[in-house]
Amino acid sequence: MKKRLTNIALSASITATYMKAKLRQTLVATAGVAFGITVFIFMVSFIQGTNEYTQDVVFQQSPHLRMYNEVQIADQSLLDRRFPGVINQVHHQKPKDILLNLKDVNQVLDELRADPRVQAASGAITTQVFFRLGSSSLNGKINGVDLEREDQLFNLSGKVIEGSYEEVNVKTNSILMGVGLAKRLNVTTGDQIIITTEKGGNFAVIVVGIFKTGLTDIDKQQCYASIKTVQKLLGVPASYLTEIKVKLFDKELAPEMSGQWQARYHYQGSDWKKDNASLLEGDVLRRMIVYGVAGTILLVAGFGIFNILTMMIYEKMKEIAILKATGFSDSDVRGIFLTQALVIGAAGAVMGLVFGFLISYAVSKVPFNSDVMITLDHLPVSFKPVYYITGFTFGILTTALSGYLPSRKAAKMDPISILRG
Amino acid sequence: MNVLEVANLNKYFTEPVRNQVLKGVGFQVEAGEFVAITGKSGSGKSTLLYLLSTMDTDFEGSIMINGEQMKGKTNRWLAAFRNQHIGFVFQFHYLLPEFTSLENVMLPARKLGLYPKDQIEQRAMDLLKLLDVESQAAKRAALLSGGQQQRIAIARALINDPSIVMGDEPTGNLDSANSATVFGLFKELAKERQQTVLVVTHDEDFARRADRRIYMADGQIMEG
Repeated sequence: MKKRLTNIALSASITATYMKAKLRQTLVATAGVAFGITVFIFMVSFIQGTNEYTQDVVFQQSPHLRMYNEVQIADQSLLDRRFPGVINQVHHQKPKDILLNLKDVNQVLDELRADPRVQAASGAITTQVFFRLGSSSLNGKINGVDLEREDQLFNLSGKVIEGSYEEVNVKTNSILMGVGLAKRLNVTTGDQIIITTEKGGNFAVIVVGIFKTGLTDIDKQQCYASIKTVQKLLGVPASYLTEIKVKLFDKELAPEMSGQWQARYHYQGSDWKKDNASLLEGDVLRRMIVYGVAGTILLVAGFGIFNILTMMIYEKMKEIAILKATGFSDSDVRGIFLTQALVIGAAGAVMGLVFGFLISYAVSKVPFNSDVMITLDHLPVSFKPVYYITGFTFGILTTALSGYLPSRKAAKMDPISILRG
Repeated sequence: MNVLEVANLNKYFTEPVRNQVLKGVGFQVEAGEFVAITGKSGSGKSTLLYLLSTMDTDFEGSIMINGEQMKGKTNRWLAAFRNQHIGFVFQFHYLLPEFTSLENVMLPARKLGLYPKDQIEQRAMDLLKLLDVESQAAKRAALLSGGQQQRIAIARALINDPSIVMGDEPTGNLDSANSATVFGLFKELAKERQQTVLVVTHDEDFARRADRRIYMADGQIMEG
């Protein structure tokens, strides 16, 4: 053991002497690795930061888990029950006219709120309506929500840019309107508009506030009101709710829990992963691009190391032969050159991490104002340690690989053919 | 006691055509003998030395050094054996130019790892003093003259107190004064330290003054 340690120390001191003798080349190679890692860290941090930000915007607006009732075609007809084992064809089957409300919804909500995994659960009633003002008539959606709980779930009050959030709760027949919708209807806070429901009833409501979520789909089509207001619009009883929205402490559990609850309460359901599949897929693609670019840069840096070591080994053929003649084994010689590659790799990687962090930090302080992303005032950058660990590992692996081939060449060199001259 | 026993040694070159360069070579060398191997170019004397050096392992027959069989050993084992038991002096000094003279001499001993570093340094300095080059200890090897470099190389060969010192034309690159010094040194090693010296040389004068002379021709030992 002690012998091995002195051996390593000896190889290291030989390595150090060689590197000192070729200081400029060594520095260039180190800078190459450092540059690759810097770019990797910066790009990953920036792109992931952007990904996380857009995800946050979307997920703040969408619950982790939703449960609702949907009009469905019965998959088994009466005929099937009467004549089993026979193919029964029913043409132009019509969906059954069912009530879209969730059964025993208040009891279910109480149960969900008692679950330790649930952060917040809120019932809602949603309906399609037409908004009319003068001659313009636009279709949209009104969400009747429990305003306090909705605020807990989605921070709705923070998105109100005009008027007051609390007023919706107090004032009867009042709504909060999406900024895009308000613009198209040309209404402002305090204006009265007419709403036509699916069933044909007309109601006058007052706009008491305008909100902006940053998601065009929502801002252009949706309004919020109290549950009571919407129930009154539809003429349904107080227990009539069409949707349950749940926020969990750990959102990764959503698909699993959604399945459990659907089976238990006989509701339909969906989770954030299903609702945002294309967004999540986009993230994966962007991450692949980052790793591709950084990989290419590191590959180039790796070629630099490969070149330097190969040149050095050609220059030092005679010395390698001497080392072997005086008792250094093949693996000692390999170790000497491989250590050089690894030292360059480790130094480059550490420098790259530091520079990458500094650049990312600088970029995260750059002001950025966007019309769409209203909650954004600086460029979004993510500082997760896992990128730094990946970057370091990546750097070491590339340099180890590009150092290994020349080192093996040195180790395999036959001292006799060199000494013979 | 025989330090070196060679029996029925055959060696073939396969490039460009198969060619037998050593034909059934066999001899013994005792501890403390100073042996010169001579012969014309192509007689196989250098090839023989490389086989004895254990760096060339592709041969038929038997080579025993210090009672150990060299045939069929691993590269790592042979490297460790060379490190401890064989010292080399080449025609061209082959020092590591980036290292100082002292570091060059110390390298094999640090590889052996028998003594702590300060003790190795002391031994290396003693050797440099013995060879009259201690003033060059801190200089980089690349900056020394040919004669000085060869002395440093000899010091490096001796640092681990090897049982055999092998030389491949060790005086081939030196003027007569330096040659004489090197010869004197080898003689002294053999006589006073009981170290075996085995030298391949073209130098007739050098060979004649050795304890024993092995003359080779056409891959065979003609006399010795």
